[in-house]
Amino acid sequence: MSRVILHVDMDAFFASVEVRERPELRGRPVIVGGTPEGRGVVAAASYEARRFGVHSAMPTATALRLCPKAVVLPPRHGFYSQVSRGIHAVFERYTPLVEPLSLDEAFLDVTGSLRLFGSAAAIGRRIKGEILEELDLVASVGVAPNKFLAKLASDMNKPDGFFHFDPNRIAEILDPMPVTRLWGVGPATARQLERLGIRTVGQLRHYSQRLIARHLGRGGEHLWELAHGIDERPVICEQETKSVSNETTFARDIHDPNSLRIWLSELAEQVAWRLRRQELAGRTVTLKVRFRDFTTVTRSLSLPEVTDVTSEIRDTALRLYEERLDHPHLPVRLLGVGVSGFDAPSACQQSLFNETRARSSRVDSIVDQIRSRFGSDAMHRGGSRR
Amino acid sequence: MRFTISREALLRPLQVVGGVVEKRQTLPVLSNILVNAEPDRVTLTGTDLEVELTAAVPVIGADTGDITLPARKFMDICKALPEGAEIDITVDGEKARFRSGKSRFTLATLPAAEFPATEAIAGAFEFEIPQGELRHLIEKTQFCMANQDVRYYLNGLLLEFNAGSLRTVATDGHRLALSDRIAEQTGTEQRQVIIPRKGVMELFRLLVDSKELCRVQLNTNHIKVELPNIGFTSKLVDGRFPDYERVVPKGGDKIVTADRESLRQALVRAAILSNEKYRGIRLELSNDQLRAVVNNPEQEEAEEELDVDYQGEELEIGFNVAYLLEAINAIDEEQVEITLSDANSSCLVRGLGNEGSRYVVMPMRL
Repeated sequence: MSRVILHVDMDAFFASVEVRERPELRGRPVIVGGTPEGRGVVAAASYEARRFGVHSAMPTATALRLCPKAVVLPPRHGFYSQVSRGIHAVFERYTPLVEPLSLDEAFLDVTGSLRLFGSAAAIGRRIKGEILEELDLVASVGVAPNKFLAKLASDMNKPDGFFHFDPNRIAEILDPMPVTRLWGVGPATARQLERLGIRTVGQLRHYSQRLIARHLGRGGEHLWELAHGIDERPVICEQETKSVSNETTFARDIHDPNSLRIWLSELAEQVAWRLRRQELAGRTVTLKVRFRDFTTVTRSLSLPEVTDVTSEIRDTALRLYEERLDHPHLPVRLLGVGVSGFDAPSACQQSLFNETRARSSRVDSIVDQIRSRFGSDAMHRGGSRR
Repeated sequence: MRFTISREALLRPLQVVGGVVEKRQTLPVLSNILVNAEPDRVTLTGTDLEVELTAAVPVIGADTGDITLPARKFMDICKALPEGAEIDITVDGEKARFRSGKSRFTLATLPAAEFPATEAIAGAFEFEIPQGELRHLIEKTQFCMANQDVRYYLNGLLLEFNAGSLRTVATDGHRLALSDRIAEQTGTEQRQVIIPRKGVMELFRLLVDSKELCRVQLNTNHIKVELPNIGFTSKLVDGRFPDYERVVPKGGDKIVTADRESLRQALVRAAILSNEKYRGIRLELSNDQLRAVVNNPEQEEAEEELDVDYQGEELEIGFNVAYLLEAINAIDEEQVEITLSDANSSCLVRGLGNEGSRYVVMPMRL
C-alpha cells in the first residue's frame, strides 16, 4: 500500500525560538551555542548568520570570525523542549504516528488520516500554518511516499519550504543529485562509489542491485533502493532507547589521570541517574576518549548482569580507563561514559551476594531524592568534582 | 659470573620461573629472569610484580655474580639444545655467552640491580602443611574464582585460619566453593587473606600430591610458600571477602542423592543443547526421579531422566548447567548429595558423607 509520509523540520529552531522571545533580535545574525572561550560550538544559527557561512557544529570562535556582529546566546535546552512539545501537540492533531528525530524534526505517517483531513498536501500545509500561527515559528515541510524522500523534500526549498514529491517525477529529481545526499553515504562510501565511476544518484540507479551489493555489501542493497526512491522503513513512534551516555568536551585538554578519574566518576554518576529516571538498566559500559590529536577510542565491558547502580558503572568505567587504554596517553579532549544492552536476558542467573548491591542501590535512591528536591549540587560523592 | 650446568638440571627450574614472566611488559627488566650464582648453587627468579617465583639449582664451583637474562630466549635455547647437553654460561661485561658443544650464543643482559627486589616477609605468621593438603584445598575450590570481576576481591582465593583448621573459599558471585582441612600447626590464629587469581594458579602448578611439608609465611601484604628448591611469593588482594557463611544454605529440606557419574553424564549430554550464553537447565524433581530439560533459542530440546534417591515435594528449578557440572566434577565420592529448599534459593552440592568440601550454586530464573 502506498504511504504518505511528512517530514517537518523547523527552520533554525533554537535561534528562531530566541528571536521570537526577543523581537529586538529580528533581522540580526543570531548564534545559539557555547562561548568561544570555552571552545563551544554553534548549536543553531539564524539565516542572517548563515549568510556569512556560519553553520551548526562549527566552533563558535570560527563563527565569530566569519560574522563578528553575531549575537551569541547560550542554549536553553529545557526551554526548547518545552516549545518542541507545543509543536508535537500540533502533529498529534493529525496522526498518532509521529517519530521525533530531535527537538526540531519529526516524521509523520498520515496515510490513515487522509480520509479525515483531505489530501497529503493539505495536511502538510495545515500543520505548517498552525505552527506559524500558534507558535510564531517557521517550519519546512516535505510530503512524499516514504521517509527518505520526505526528508529530501523538506530540504528542497528551505527556509519556509514546502515540497510535495510527485511519485511520477522521483527519478527526474533524484538523478542529478550527488550520491552523498543518500542516507548512509559518508566520505568512505562516496570514495568506494567513485571508484565504480558513480557520482550521482542517477548513475547509481543504472547499476544492478547485485553489483552494488557485491561492492558495498548489504548496505549497498539499501543504497540502490534509495536511489530508486524506495524506502520501506516505517515511522516508529516511540524510539526505544538503545543506550544512555554522557560526554563532555573539556575547556582545556586534560592530562592528569586523577582529574580524568574524577570526571569519569562524575559522568558515570550522571549516566546512572538518567538510567534510573528512565527505569533502565544495562549490561554494557562503554568508555569514550578523544585525545588531543582527535583520535577517538571506545572501550566496552559487559557485566554479568544489568545495572543502574552508580558505583558499579563508575568502577567499570574507571577499570576500562586503567586497564584498556595505553598509559601514559595524550592529553584528553573529550571523555564519555555510556551504558547499553538493556534487553532483558531470557534467563537470569541469581546472585549470592545481594547485600552490597542493595546497599549501593539504597544510597543511589537517597541521593536521587535529595538531588531532585534540592538540586544536583546539593550532594556530592566523596572524591568527586565539586 | 660463570657456571656450568646440564640442560636437564636447568630446564625444569627455568620453566617454573619462566611461567610467571608475562610476554608484554611495561618494564623491560620484567621480561628477564634474574640469575644469581653462588659457589654451590644458582638461583633463578621471575616476577610480574604480583607473583614472584624462585628456583634453585645446585652447581659445582661457580664464579659468583648476578645478572638478568631475557626469559623467553633463555628458555628456548635450553629447550632446543640436545638432551644431555652441558651448558657453560659466562657473563662478560654487558653480554652473556652460552656455550654448549658446537653451539654459541651471545645474549643481551640487563643489570641485576634493575630487577625488582624481593621484599622480605617481615613480621610473618608461619606454619607448615603437607604439600598434598594445600594442593587439595586449592584444587577443590579454585574453579569458582571470579575472573576480571569489578569486585576485585572475588578474583582470588580466600585462605582462612580458624582454630586449627584451614579453609579455602572461592566465589564468582553466582556459585561458591568451600574446602576445609585440619591444620593443627596454625594454632589459635584467626585470619583471612585473599590470594590473587594468578598467584593461585601458579602455586597450584607447583604443588604435588605428597606428604612432604611446605612452609607457608603470611603477613598483611604477602604470602610466601617454600617448596623444595622453589620459592613462591604473591601479593595479597587488599580487600574484604564477602560474608560467605551467610550464603551457605542451612536447613534445606529437599535432599537428592544420585550416582555421581550417571548424573554427570546426563548433565553433559543435556548441556549439548543448552543456550551457549546462559547455559540454562531445568531440573524437575519428583519421587525418586530427576528429569533434566534443556531448551535453546533454536527450539531444540534435550531431556534426561535419572533414577535418584528423593522423597519430598515436587520441585522445578533452573541452573547454569556448567556450574553444576564443575561442582560435580570436583567431587571424589561416588554418590553426590544435593540439598535444595525452593526454586529461588541456592542449593548445596557435596559428596555423600563429605563434610570437607561444599559447593553452593544459585539458581537461574528460566
